[in-house]
Amino acid sequence: MKDAVRIQQQDFSQDEEIDALRASSKRMGGIATFIGCARDFSEGREVTQISFDAYGSMAVAEMNRLRDEAITKFGLLDARIVHRVGVVGAGDQIVFIAAGAEHRAPALQACHWLIDELKQRVPIWKKEITPQGDAWVTSHP
Amino acid sequence: MIKVLFFGPVAERVGKSEASVEFSAGMRLQDLRAQLQASYPEAFEIVCFAAVNGEHVLDMSLPLAEGNEVVFMSRFSGG
Repeated sequence: MKDAVRIQQQDFSQDEEIDALRASSKRMGGIATFIGCARDFSEGREVTQISFDAYGSMAVAEMNRLRDEAITKFGLLDARIVHRVGVVGAGDQIVFIAAGAEHRAPALQACHWLIDELKQRVPIWKKEITPQGDAWVTSHP
Repeated sequence: MIKVLFFGPVAERVGKSEASVEFSAGMRLQDLRAQLQASYPEAFEIVCFAAVNGEHVLDMSLPLAEGNEVVFMSRFSGG
């Protein structure tokens, strides 16, 4: 089975990730998921691709820490986080988060918390590739 | 030696993703930063965070040791 927390170049399957999450417990009554995708338009410019760079070892360690914190903070039964690196085409998937709990409220809250914290704490950087040139994204709305 | 890594926009401004800096006795994180900042001022305009051996460091007076891996990072933009 694939690790619950991963950084990888290749695309991911949300069905496989959810199956893996569900396999961890039959007490799971609610699963919340988030998928971040590459927009084809940003700040007035067409975006054809997004390139991601990461401090891999620290990013995976921080994502594992986030997962552990979310499980404790929200009483989750399990959680999974997958982030792609390398070049991603417009419209493609970038990041997947799933949180499973006995009830829907903690699953939804944890999923929201995880993506917000990931953006603040995980050392990954994105560069938008546009017909007018490339630009690193320095903010994270 | 101290191994220094750069990623994303900082690496682009430095012009490389890795550098080696001679370790000297009593060297602190702030000394390493000052040394590199003098060489790459444009890159350090956007540096917000530092990590030593994969751990965030807020105290820039942290003493360094031979063989440390240090990373100076800009604001993250993953997700």
